Amino acid sequence: MDGQLLSETFVELTDTMVAGFDVIDFMHVLTDRSVQLLDVSAAGLLLADPRGELRVVAASSEAARLLELFQLQNDQGPCLDCFRAGQPVAAGDLAAEAARWPRFAPAARQAGFAAVQALPMRLREQVIGALNLFRAGPGAFDPVDIRIGQALADVATISLLHERSMRHSDTLNEQLQTALNSRVVIEQAKGKLAERLGLDMGQAFSLLRDHARSRNLRLSDLARAFIDGSEPLSGLTASATQQQIAGAAQAHNQPPPGEPPGPNRPRPAPRRPRRP
Amino acid sequence: MTSSRPGRIWGLVAAEANRHGGQVSAADACAAAVAAVGVTGAWLSAADGADAGHLMRVTDAVSEQLAELQLTLGEGPALDAYTSGGPVLASDLGASETAGRWPVFAPAALQAGAAAIFVFPLQIGAIRAGAMGLYRVRPGRLSASELGDALVFADTAALLLLDSADQTAAGPDAGTGPAGQPEDLALHRAEIDQATGMLTEQLGVGITEAFVRLRAYAYANDLRLADVARDIVARRLRLRNDLGLPRDGEA
Repeated sequence: MDGQLLSETFVELTDTMVAGFDVIDFMHVLTDRSVQLLDVSAAGLLLADPRGELRVVAASSEAARLLELFQLQNDQGPCLDCFRAGQPVAAGDLAAEAARWPRFAPAARQAGFAAVQALPMRLREQVIGALNLFRAGPGAFDPVDIRIGQALADVATISLLHERSMRHSDTLNEQLQTALNSRVVIEQAKGKLAERLGLDMGQAFSLLRDHARSRNLRLSDLARAFIDGSEPLSGLTASATQQQIAGAAQAHNQPPPGEPPGPNRPRPAPRRPRRP
Repeated sequence: MTSSRPGRIWGLVAAEANRHGGQVSAADACAAAVAAVGVTGAWLSAADGADAGHLMRVTDAVSEQLAELQLTLGEGPALDAYTSGGPVLASDLGASETAGRWPVFAPAALQAGAAAIFVFPLQIGAIRAGAMGLYRVRPGRLSASELGDALVFADTAALLLLDSADQTAAGPDAGTGPAGQPEDLALHRAEIDQATGMLTEQLGVGITEAFVRLRAYAYANDLRLADVARDIVARRLRLRNDLGLPRDGEA
């Protein structure tokens, strides 16, 4: 655990919440930092939709097989258990969990993960979602990592209450639905850009996010403007973005060592390949 | 977390349509929501671009007044819902905070007889079909279960509105099939959103028409929407714009 990076992360997160705030982008930063700060390979944030499902809003990688692992947890898995119990759920060795999660455990292992942890996003007595952490290697999670992970999950919860007082559940529910719909807008924009440039969805997401950051735009605003045509993104071409694509192509990314955090810092293009 | 909520609510909407003997429509979703969600009345408006939309259904005179007040005053929860892209839940119109939010609308709505208002945008990502408003004569929040139901009624109304628009644009067959298939609503799938975005490029159409065409293809070929979407995302399937359909005017 890197204490310097941890303190910088919290400064960054609180700075981000003060101005120009986008819940989805913020949650992506949280999942990225989770992977950097904690001994995990991938992270995702899932929110409980009052309609009756858990929905992923942000992940450290947009690789389809990781997103499917989150989606699968509507039926079974640590996030569903965590959401129902309101308590952290951990499995240090997924090979031993076939009886507990007959579909989820093999799927997670096939995606290259050996250990999983779910931490609740709690607001008073209510559980509104979970932070889901995956690690390529087996073994128990470090208690310090779990505490930091829980702090990150708590920050994610607070981010949904931004802008208005924590008066009651109305605000939370308004923000929750806005965030869930923003995520849909981003998925639609990913599809449009992926089709235009011949990219996969993860690459399209990286390009959109990089572009939003370099222009200081909110990711969901950019996505919406791209879809309605008011932001043509004509500057983005497959050839001009080869380097970014090369970096984004890694299913599970790992930040370069010593990378300083900063709210508007462009995402570093080359990432160390990591195959669990 | 998969629940039978979408199926149950579809049943309520279909029962509402049966009572008047017509085809299931968005107006039925609005009417059925009143009893199911536990509110006094409801209204439904269809959006036309950035326009605030026209009223498709009101369940009582107060609902009509609430919808029209917002159009007249240019202030209120429906406009805020459009701007924010999320629902607006005002469970106590008499609270000072609410009065500060809508200094003209809040007292007028109270005068009209409403004490709580909940507005749900009818939307799927960037697709906007309109809005559904609910009101109560007494202040009070929607419970978690009422909120979940209201959201699914709004989803159902959104699909039905898109289908009815499709029917007028693409001929008599287009709107009859996929209308509110509960499967559409049962579980959110990112592939459906991604495929919709891809189709805007493949077909050269706006996002709303892309979604309508995706569902029409699934229905016409008797396939599950999620399966068609997965094939498009995996690039096993491309749709061609060879039906001579008019574009829907979006960029």
